[in-house]
Amino acid sequence: MTVEVVLNGRRAALECAADEMLLEVLRREGLGSVRATCGIGVCGACTVLVDGEPISGCLMLAAQAEGREVTTVEGLEGRHPVQRAFVEAHAFQCGWCTPGFVLTAKRLLEESPDPSDEEIVEALDGNLCRCGSYVKIVDAVRRAAAGGDGRTSSAS
Amino acid sequence: MSTGPVSWEAPATLDEALALRARHGDEATVVAGGTFLGILLNQGFIRPVRLLSLGRVAGLREIEVAGGELRLGAMATHRNVERHPGVREGWPAIAHAFSVVASRRVRNQATVGGVLADADYASDPPAVLAAHDARVVLRSPAAEREVRISELIRGYYETCIASEELLVGVRVPPAPQRAVYRKFRSRSREDRPCVAVAAARAGDELRVVVGAVAQTPQAFPEVCAAAAGRRPDRALAEEVGRRYAERIEPLADARGSAAYRRRVTAVEVRRAVEALAEEAPDGARAADGRAGREGRP
Amino acid sequence: MIAVGVDPRVTGAQRYSVDVEREGMLHAAFVRSPHAHAEVREVDASAVPAECVVLVPEDVAGLGPCGCQARDQHVLAGPARYAGDVVAAVAAPTREAARAAARLVEVDYEERPAVFDAVAAVAPGAPLLHADAAASAQDAVSIGVRPLAGTNVCHRFQIHHGDVAAGFAEADVVVEEAFRTAGAAHAPMEPHAALAEWEDGRLTVWTGTQTPFNTRTDLAGLFGLAEEDVRIVAPPMGGSFGAKTFVRTEAVVAALARKAGRPVKVVLDRTEEFVTLNRHPATIRVRIGARRDGTLVAKELDCWVDTGAYADCGPGVATKLGYAGVGPYRIPHVRVDSLAVYTNLPPNGAYRGYGAMQSVWASERTMDVLADRLGVSPLELRRRNLLHDGDRFATGEVMHDVQFERCLQAAADAVGYEDDPRGKGLCVLLKGMQTPSRAAIVVERTPVGFLLRSAGCEMGQGVRQSLRLQGAALLDCEPGQIEVPDPDTDTTPYDTRTTSSRTTHMMGRALAEAVADLRSNGAGRGFGEIVNEGGLDPDTGQGVASTHWHQGAAAARVAVDEETGKVTIRDLHAAVYAGRVVHREGAELQNEGSMVMGLGTAMFEALDVGEGQIANANLSDYNLPALGDLPARFTHELVEREGAEVHGLGETALPPVPAAIGNALYSLGLDVRELPITAERVLDAVDGREGAGKAAA
Repeated sequence: MTVEVVLNGRRAALECAADEMLLEVLRREGLGSVRATCGIGVCGACTVLVDGEPISGCLMLAAQAEGREVTTVEGLEGRHPVQRAFVEAHAFQCGWCTPGFVLTAKRLLEESPDPSDEEIVEALDGNLCRCGSYVKIVDAVRRAAAGGDGRTSSAS
Repeated sequence: MSTGPVSWEAPATLDEALALRARHGDEATVVAGGTFLGILLNQGFIRPVRLLSLGRVAGLREIEVAGGELRLGAMATHRNVERHPGVREGWPAIAHAFSVVASRRVRNQATVGGVLADADYASDPPAVLAAHDARVVLRSPAAEREVRISELIRGYYETCIASEELLVGVRVPPAPQRAVYRKFRSRSREDRPCVAVAAARAGDELRVVVGAVAQTPQAFPEVCAAAAGRRPDRALAEEVGRRYAERIEPLADARGSAAYRRRVTAVEVRRAVEALAEEAPDGARAADGRAGREGRP
Repeated sequence: MIAVGVDPRVTGAQRYSVDVEREGMLHAAFVRSPHAHAEVREVDASAVPAECVVLVPEDVAGLGPCGCQARDQHVLAGPARYAGDVVAAVAAPTREAARAAARLVEVDYEERPAVFDAVAAVAPGAPLLHADAAASAQDAVSIGVRPLAGTNVCHRFQIHHGDVAAGFAEADVVVEEAFRTAGAAHAPMEPHAALAEWEDGRLTVWTGTQTPFNTRTDLAGLFGLAEEDVRIVAPPMGGSFGAKTFVRTEAVVAALARKAGRPVKVVLDRTEEFVTLNRHPATIRVRIGARRDGTLVAKELDCWVDTGAYADCGPGVATKLGYAGVGPYRIPHVRVDSLAVYTNLPPNGAYRGYGAMQSVWASERTMDVLADRLGVSPLELRRRNLLHDGDRFATGEVMHDVQFERCLQAAADAVGYEDDPRGKGLCVLLKGMQTPSRAAIVVERTPVGFLLRSAGCEMGQGVRQSLRLQGAALLDCEPGQIEVPDPDTDTTPYDTRTTSSRTTHMMGRALAEAVADLRSNGAGRGFGEIVNEGGLDPDTGQGVASTHWHQGAAAARVAVDEETGKVTIRDLHAAVYAGRVVHREGAELQNEGSMVMGLGTAMFEALDVGEGQIANANLSDYNLPALGDLPARFTHELVEREGAEVHGLGETALPPVPAAIGNALYSLGLDVRELPITAERVLDAVDGREGAGKAAA
């Protein structure tokens, strides 16, 4: 089947089987930041924004994205304030989980530009980092919040 | 993944959806939010030939307060429920319970109808909805019926939903005076619950429902009835807790042994009943059960 | 268009071993034994579609065995020695087709008795897993494996220092305690992935690995090739923590590729990750004697280290566990007996900490029990006995650049231990760095700067950045002018392996040599090699365990809900000796990451092994620490010293975390002996303290 989406700001027609997950289909499109990891939606490494909200790419059927806006971290083009903050804070080690954290933090700051520590923990608690970079990840989110405009340059 | 092409049906109206359901019965796997289904597909536990998505069906996503009653559409997401002003104000324990499910990602996708139809023993919403005496609306092409949570959920991942029925919504009566939802996790803050307790007080009536300890949410109306009209003090709360712990037949899983669950049930039920007696400036404070999570009873 | 120069980890452009592709490649799926111990009588692949290639026992009968310290593994298992052991494999055009085909392979098994506990496995009559474990000849880091013939002991490491009988006779107080630690999963976010391709009799394998040269040696041995005819390329990994070491999937994939005549790639799924390589469970008995004034006089450790169905580097782990369990103390009489034991569980191998966590748990918990018996503060007892420069350790080696007291004091101060010790616990440790070992590096001039050829494998620890920073300082250029390509055994000089927190230290020293060579020889290329000599006699434990020591301490402060046993960690601090810090953020991340992993080990990570099946083989039933699990106060420090050498610290802050928490609970009278410290175990400890039976439910 063909699933019509707006993918990172551009119309795209995704060819897929009805029982394929968005994760697989996006990887086939070359979006290697969406990573198969736990298969049960627990780790967040396959986080994708659908209509701006984070979901697990491994649990959403591609067909469910029909007509919706889909954003992966590639869509931020390395220019988003959250990405700058992650680099400044050196908030990663192997980097596998980083796209998921970046997208989740992006959404958090859009909803809550000056989040409390509790809000940050609650929002990010569902993304796992086995390397244990959590301290610097929180630092990055605080920097991005302090840096001002959490609402700039949203691709979706 | 299946051996042949899987078909995808995405009807736009409830009537169409019901017609498809009636035609294919359980040969068509219903897709609500899709989180639980996704896990089953990824693990290879099921290989559906036909998927019936409710994503486009008009009118299933609404959350409304009408005549004092709360109505949750089956396709409303957990996040919708958690954030809806009417729910937060009128049924704060329900808003809270939906808000502590899994992660934001799951809550953005998982639905009211899906979580009830999946009947996962560790899910949060069934217990809290049961404590509010909620009714689930089941529709077939010919008829509509309402069932209590206790009738809906029969066992592990097993419900009373007939093969021609769809769960279309939940109706919750006017809010009780006080309600709380406590979610005890024995391990990581991100873990599924070991013991979860929903408790509500409506006038003299006490309702306590324990989730995550057995196949189905556990309620013992006779224990609660014996508490009716009595002073809501610590001794009463302790007695309710002790009697609930005696009556459950707990399971064991990664979160705790049966014996451990029994002990914690006594404690958490007591704490939930005590929380009902607390004076609170706003419903949210009593509802969140957060006070007990970090080691203070 | 992605902005130029932005770190690929943040743009999503980073690629890992799972992303390697080769033209015409097939995808592999493995057929795994459901039984913990079973003869493989017949493999019937007749139902597999013709387009697939199936690897069956006959295909590999002439190959193997291999293994880094004991050559006890074959390409396909027969008999199967654990539930999950690979008995056949399939390659197909897609991963889904391969998985579907693997399900069609029918295997006829004849079950054998099995054993799932290391202590039970050495009892008389226990089923034997390996009739004859031949010591590996290839181990460049020879430890002299000592199997006990006719038993499940694949290695026995001992320390005999002084005369323990005499020592205990001098003791006024003797404490004897027993401890256990559960198995755990490394659970790197990226699963194991490897792609094998043959060309003109030469084998190339792209694989996420920390051990390219060891893997090359083992594969060459298996397939009867010269080492030069095997090439290992090591792309960056999405985490490893020891999981991706030695031959894991590479041999099967190489055998499939040879049979198929096409490249073959495998990527494991999450369930398979739990049956590939795990952490050694251990049972440890400690006996320690002290004089009335707190001076330690004698110590004995008996350790049963469960290495699972295959030895892997279990002998090395049992060795390091054995000497780390002595602790950073002056003890004149020491006996250690550490057994690496086979059981019918998935193999256990290198895991961050390399055995130190298990014995530090036992040893440091025992110190607090001893302090209690002596009526002395746990801090004071340690201070009285800590090693200083010039002291001799139980291996006979003389200690230098000793910072134990400094680390311990820093940890104690961080939680205000001396103001009030209630609810607080301490731990100080020593851990060895792989000795002996070799590291070599090449530096080449390029038009824009330099290029370094190093076999240091990137798994998130920042080895490349560390090399760039060290290179920039030596070569007087910017780090950005230094290129560090992925390890490739065709072009990269030999390095023992990227384990044991040794790379920044060893490669840094080799780099200094290489730069000196570059400068002096006038050519565009310099070569440097550092050889780290030493090792221990496995029968006496004497020699040089480590040419420099990893040193650290931790302190914890806890609160307990005594009705549910739930522990809240209020405060956790680790002080780790870094000597000289090269990449500050990188070092901080290693400390923080080690502490987080330590939290998981301490509080909830445990493989549920039941009757040989891993019952919790997914990331919901097996919890990994999340952000919300971090204590309110979570701090650490890098202890430095002017003029010191770089000290590795990729692991040091993990082992002390469980013991610090366990000791904090002990200060409240809650005695937990087994890891993880589950709420249920704490509740049992509450009952135990109260001396009553459990509260009526």
